[in-house]
Amino acid sequence: MGGDKMDVKQGTLALMILKTLEMLGPLHGYGVARRIEGTSGDRIKLNYGTLYPALVKLEQEGFVKSEWRRSENNRRAKYYALTRAGRRRLAREVREWHATADLIAAFLTPGEAK
Amino acid sequence: MRHVRVALARIAGVFGRGRSDEDLREELQAHLEMEALENLRRGMSPEEARRQAMLASGGLVQAAEAVRDQRGLPWLEGVWADLRYALRALRRSPAFTAVVAVTLALGIGANTAIFSVVRGVLLKSLPHRDGDRLVYLRHSMEGPGGANIGFSVPEVRDLRLGVPSLSGMAEYSPWNLVFRSDDGAVRIRVGLVTGNYFEVMGLSPLLGRVTEAADDGSGVPPVMVLTHDYWVRRFGGDSSVVGKQLQLDGTPVTVIGVLQPAPFFPDRIDALLNMVISDHHVSATMVEGRTHRMTEVVARLRTGAGLEQAEAEVAAVYARMKRDHADAYDAGANHRIAVIPFSEALGERARPTLWLLMGAAAFVLIISVASVANLGLMRGVRREQELVVRAALGAGMNRLRRLVLAENVALSLLGAALGVLIATGGMGLLSSLAERYSPRASEIRLDAPVFAFMFGLSAAVAVLLSFLLSLPREGALSSRITGQRVSGSIHRHRLQRVLVVVQVAVSVVLLAGAGLLTRTMIRLSEVNTGLRSEEVLTIQVPLLTPADLLFNPASDAGAKERYEEMRREIGRLPGVLEVGVGSPGPLRGSEVRLEVKAEGRPLATGEPTPRAQFRTAGPEYFRAAGIPLLAGREFSVTDGRGTGWVVIINETLAEGLFPGEDPIGKRLAWTGDVLRFTPISPDWRTIVGVVASTRDGGLDAAPRPAVFMPFAQELAMGGTLVIRTDTDPAALAPAATSIVRRVAPHAPIEQVLTVAQIKDQSVSPRRLNAALISSFGILAVIIAAVGIGGVLAFSVSARTSEIGIRMSLGADRGRIQRMVLREGGVLLVIGMAVGLLAAAYAGRMVRGLLFGVAPNDPTTFAGVAVLMAVIGLAACWIPALRAARVDPAMTMRL
Repeated sequence: MGGDKMDVKQGTLALMILKTLEMLGPLHGYGVARRIEGTSGDRIKLNYGTLYPALVKLEQEGFVKSEWRRSENNRRAKYYALTRAGRRRLAREVREWHATADLIAAFLTPGEAK
Repeated sequence: MRHVRVALARIAGVFGRGRSDEDLREELQAHLEMEALENLRRGMSPEEARRQAMLASGGLVQAAEAVRDQRGLPWLEGVWADLRYALRALRRSPAFTAVVAVTLALGIGANTAIFSVVRGVLLKSLPHRDGDRLVYLRHSMEGPGGANIGFSVPEVRDLRLGVPSLSGMAEYSPWNLVFRSDDGAVRIRVGLVTGNYFEVMGLSPLLGRVTEAADDGSGVPPVMVLTHDYWVRRFGGDSSVVGKQLQLDGTPVTVIGVLQPAPFFPDRIDALLNMVISDHHVSATMVEGRTHRMTEVVARLRTGAGLEQAEAEVAAVYARMKRDHADAYDAGANHRIAVIPFSEALGERARPTLWLLMGAAAFVLIISVASVANLGLMRGVRREQELVVRAALGAGMNRLRRLVLAENVALSLLGAALGVLIATGGMGLLSSLAERYSPRASEIRLDAPVFAFMFGLSAAVAVLLSFLLSLPREGALSSRITGQRVSGSIHRHRLQRVLVVVQVAVSVVLLAGAGLLTRTMIRLSEVNTGLRSEEVLTIQVPLLTPADLLFNPASDAGAKERYEEMRREIGRLPGVLEVGVGSPGPLRGSEVRLEVKAEGRPLATGEPTPRAQFRTAGPEYFRAAGIPLLAGREFSVTDGRGTGWVVIINETLAEGLFPGEDPIGKRLAWTGDVLRFTPISPDWRTIVGVVASTRDGGLDAAPRPAVFMPFAQELAMGGTLVIRTDTDPAALAPAATSIVRRVAPHAPIEQVLTVAQIKDQSVSPRRLNAALISSFGILAVIIAAVGIGGVLAFSVSARTSEIGIRMSLGADRGRIQRMVLREGGVLLVIGMAVGLLAAAYAGRMVRGLLFGVAPNDPTTFAGVAVLMAVIGLAACWIPALRAARVDPAMTMRL
């Protein structure tokens, strides 16, 4: 694996999964993985051992629900969808991310002298 | 909230394992296929597409494990897997598992059973409200029978006023009443209480109500509260008994309630009544007489007050009492009042025996664990191969330790499960033992704390075993892979030897204890009761109640006639040699103890006033009971009312009052302040005879001084028929009791016992002690013997090549045998030496339970040493023989 692949913390992965599901609607694990890898410009490589536990955890927390469906090529696959709680959680997480990002940016910007 | 959801989901996840595993497999498979399909569309070849998809996945197995970790409770499932593995491993060696399980079961079961007794009798909190603030006041003095003399009403009044750290004092007066019903008459033991009794004791009624202040005094109807035990025993727990009236001493008494289950001290009580039932108790003599001591006192400490404070205040008040009323206290007899926590008083008699049993059970557990550890060590050698392979496959040391711990936990739990059976069985036996020693015996049961103890014990055993059988360190494991034959490390052998020495030592201690207790029991049963022979039957028939005696003396004549009639009728039965009447019967202590004075022998200052038991006897009494006459004459028919006061005294009193002189013809008299409350005359009485002393206070107590008055001259305060036969006295009982019932149909008949049975009552608690400890001891010896034999056998099998070499170098069979025996013998000797030292120390601690034998009795110890040596050598014999039979040719070839 290459040097410019980023590590994904579990909390941020959860955020990415929720956002993906919000934008694309109910999706199977493969679809989620492709979308996240794509959006990151292939800087993130998700293996199953990272993705699926995260999905299970989100399901345990009640932010997503799952059901078995037929995929595009008529293969049986498990689809995940956002729940209402998941939507609320996503909104909150996004707000917190932006707040944190602004704060850090203020610190890192070469500065306004006091 | 989120975390709770996750936790719940995880717990649910533990259960749905099978199906969700399949689902996951399918889901991952689907992902893989979709990725492969995409790769194919990008232009890879089918094999390449699949391979790249596989690589990207990072491994399906790992993914599945990661999901499983998130889904269920991984540590729990890990433990479960370990336990299943352990059970499989144990099933593969059934003999080992069986022996270990039984050995542990014995240790854990015995300890659990005894702990259940200790908890019920000593540790459990009292059912009384704030029971730990209750204290018992004990008034005592020196001399036989002085251990608990009770309080008089004025004394209680002074204490109540003068001890502020006691917020309330509950008094009760133990009393007997005759309860007549359709089933006949029986004497019950009651407590007469004042209105505040239940309030101070903190007891509530289970049914109905309890007595209160309104029930005090003399103008109120008599009422009674049944104790829980009595209610269950006599009325079968029937709640309709509340409100009924029972005939007590001829008076109808209403049952107003049933009390919650609670222990009583010092006597077992059947019911509690208000004072009005007994004219005596509301009379002036009772209320004013300072020496008329008939009351027991339990008090409650005020919140914030401590025991020492109460003790100090009581001592101060008591000193003042003794000063102000010096004539009520015998200066030489060292009167004192002790203030004891009530819960401690309840456990007094049981404590020494229970600690003995706990100690013995702990020893058995030590031996069991040592045995199991040895077995485990021997088995461990074979397991090592398997553990080595596991280590090579990637199991870390922690995992291996967990495996070993799991196995030991499984064994312990198995042992505990079997131990429950043993505990349940043992509890029945121990409860009946405890009943003799403690009023709380009915509270013994296998409840939650007992189970907690058992599991705690099992866990401790498992941990201890795992610690003893510690795995060799990491480097050592890999060195074994090189394939050298494992013959056991030196460390392991030393540990085995130490364990064997421990087993032998502990067995010796148990055997010594068993020996001492057994000799105690034998000594006790050999004690000369003082009676000449034992074909004597006694029947207690109290025709008159104390109330009758005190307030209706005319009834005495009628009672005496009936006793005489009974005596004559029974005398006509075949096989009867003599029938006598007396009160109390032989080998029973008298409840009445009074001061005596001898004519012409004034007391020196500081000398305690002599006291004697008050007893009555008819002319045939001594002959019937088999009490030898040592001097003078027995009573005759002419010793009746108005013909001059005569008495017979026993040897102990003769030596006390008239040392070295002949007491016949001298005179003595009853004296003391309390006499004025009784119908006993203080006139001088002439001594006409001296009889041998008998052990009336129990076989292990010294004989007490006693004065016998002719049955005809004093009130018939309860009579006992004494029947001497030349056949089996027990066979006579039915005929004799039917005669009694015919002559006195309304009288209670009690204690129909032969003298042999009375003697047995004194011996049987010791017998039970001895039996229990002996069985522990035998068990211990067996386990220890098996232990030595096993270790030696193992040592021999490990050293076969060495033996082969020796034999080929010229050692003959005998020499090999002696070598093995010497190895075992050394362990035995060391173990016995340690054990005998420990036994000498332990013997001192159980001194209180011994009788007639010193705590380090040399005969017992010698016997134990010989027994252990013989058994130990026998256990070594077989391995020695097997060693001698080793064929050097066979061993050399390997």
